[in-house]
Amino acid sequence: MITAGIDVGSTTVKVAVMDGKNVRAGLVEPAGPLPARAARDLFTRVLGQAGVAETDLDAAATTGYGRRLVDFGDMVMTEIKACAAGTLFSVPGRTIRTIIDVGGQDTKVIGLATDGDIEEFSMNDKCAAGTGRFLEMLAVKLDMSYPQFVDAALAARDTLLQMNSTCAVFAESEVVGMLARGEKKGDIAAAAHHAIAARIASMVRRVAYPDHCCFVGGGARNQALVKAIEEHLNAQVFVPENPQLVVAVGAAVCASRKLEERRAGECPMPSPARTEAGPP
Amino acid sequence: MTKPTSQYDPRYRLDPVKAPNPGARKRARMAVHHLDETMRRITRRPENIEWFESLLREGPTEDSARPPVGYFCNMIPPELILACGGRPVRLDCGNAALVQTGEEVLSGEICPVAKASFAMFLDPENPVHRCRCLVLPSSCDAKRKLGEVLADYRPTFTMNLPAEQDAGRYLAAAAKELERLADFLSRELGTSPSRRRLMEAIDLTRRRTALVRELDMARADKPGALSVRDFFIMIQSSFTGVDLVRWEKEVGTVLEHTRKYHQPRERLRPRLVLTGAPILWPNFKVLNLVEECGADIVGDTLCTGVQSVWDPVSLDETGYGALLRALAARYIFAAPCPCFVSQGRRVSRVLELAEERRAQGVLHYGLRLCQLFDVETYRLNRVLRQKGIPFLNLRTDYSLEDTEQLRVRLEAFLETVEAS
Repeated sequence: MITAGIDVGSTTVKVAVMDGKNVRAGLVEPAGPLPARAARDLFTRVLGQAGVAETDLDAAATTGYGRRLVDFGDMVMTEIKACAAGTLFSVPGRTIRTIIDVGGQDTKVIGLATDGDIEEFSMNDKCAAGTGRFLEMLAVKLDMSYPQFVDAALAARDTLLQMNSTCAVFAESEVVGMLARGEKKGDIAAAAHHAIAARIASMVRRVAYPDHCCFVGGGARNQALVKAIEEHLNAQVFVPENPQLVVAVGAAVCASRKLEERRAGECPMPSPARTEAGPP
Repeated sequence: MTKPTSQYDPRYRLDPVKAPNPGARKRARMAVHHLDETMRRITRRPENIEWFESLLREGPTEDSARPPVGYFCNMIPPELILACGGRPVRLDCGNAALVQTGEEVLSGEICPVAKASFAMFLDPENPVHRCRCLVLPSSCDAKRKLGEVLADYRPTFTMNLPAEQDAGRYLAAAAKELERLADFLSRELGTSPSRRRLMEAIDLTRRRTALVRELDMARADKPGALSVRDFFIMIQSSFTGVDLVRWEKEVGTVLEHTRKYHQPRERLRPRLVLTGAPILWPNFKVLNLVEECGADIVGDTLCTGVQSVWDPVSLDETGYGALLRALAARYIFAAPCPCFVSQGRRVSRVLELAEERRAQGVLHYGLRLCQLFDVETYRLNRVLRQKGIPFLNLRTDYSLEDTEQLRVRLEAFLETVEAS
């Protein structure tokens, strides 16, 4: 059975194609101004890479912030469900009770029950505080490329400099003040990572279990952030291979599970449509 | 009648701040229009729903024979206002456009209900100025302080509440406070509340309770018959000073419409109990989301929802003093408001509703800047979890900018509710 997961995020689109047990292909691309078109193009490319004709695809599931912008999916789900399914699929044999997902627009913490069901989740509020975007903006402010910014933060991990704000707007003015005082860019970069990590760690302690943590999403590619979160959680954090693709993989996993259930005849009735506009 | 005493120091009285703001007025109309457009998509609506909506749109109307009296919160007994010859008009405001205007004069760090409600007074053309006088309880901090501010605009009475809902200890004091409210109303309206008039008023509100209960039970049985949003509009329209006898007649029509509804298939939508902060027309953001995401609200504990009129005033004796005690018992000691020391009453009600209505989850509407509801989620969440009932806290304010984030949370919650 071949299924695809399309994760339309605020900053990037991710597509994964699976054949039952394995991920055949997966790619990440910037979402750009037209995320639906970017998703369509990427979808075609990933199918090509996987050597699958669109007609041979059994099902495609869409998820992420733009999950309803895409018109070629067969099922829609939230990124929270997809993230949980994708993480558990990506780290077989490992006990995971907490998932941290740092994306471009929001940060999520998902608590899992021992059987893997979603127990509780928490998201940052409507602003950019605590998200990947926050770090990107500060890199620009410091006139550094993002990789430079991350490396500088890694090198200055033991800085004593504190950043008080996790608000993207206020942090900028705080950075201006730090630069004026003559603080080193590396220290400022490290302080920014610590500010975010502290916020994420308290989200984890509020809803889930600091042990058995898995870190996914674009943010997990940032080694400085991984280290900072480990420090603030006082626990090891596991990062799967290709953490940015996990949600798309999860969508593909859910699609194939749903199909299996259908085909096994366990689910003869269509599930209630929750996407219809307006009851009753 | 006791000697009138000013609750607010007259030496520091201010001229009322007025800020004519046609822009805000237009935005407020747009907020209503936006909701109308959204609700038009509901497939099955009562034929006479426009009548209820028009009551909410109009605000207090002029009537010299029965002058409107503005009140806030659900803890002021409207029966007392009725018995003094006034028309009780609840002024808690849910219009997002007015929040910012309220901030211009008060502070930004006050809850949206207080800011928007106060903002109505800033507009010299707002119909709230038709109110002969105003009454509010010392419930939360915002309400406690709003009385003195509003007293610059209209004669205002702040009704003191006990901090504990311990009727054994505080019922007599609360009844005494209602007597003080009755004195204030009699002075402002020129009519004292006789025992007979109070009985008549209680009879009216008891009939409202009976009708809403019937409708609520019919809905819990067949949620497809009536949208919770339309139900809220009907309930809240009864707080506009409308003639309750006429209102009853219109609700009777809806009740018939609801009973006649035949649910064609088994309804598979998740059933939720709604609790938390007041949802006030036209701020139906959360209700819109719940129904758009395909869930049904089958019970609530909101002071602006079914719970607001759920409890009847129960009478053992019919002397004037006994009537005041009955009102205090109903409006103060049975209130689900988080301003009291213990939240036991609300937790019990939520558990009772969840079981009785066969709900699969509990949704909490947390209003940003209301610390009282926020603190209560600590216990509510844990108690429900112990009972294995899924719980989601949607914390937000009146603005629409976080709608999509809320939608993700709600949909993910519904996914887990359905999986369990």
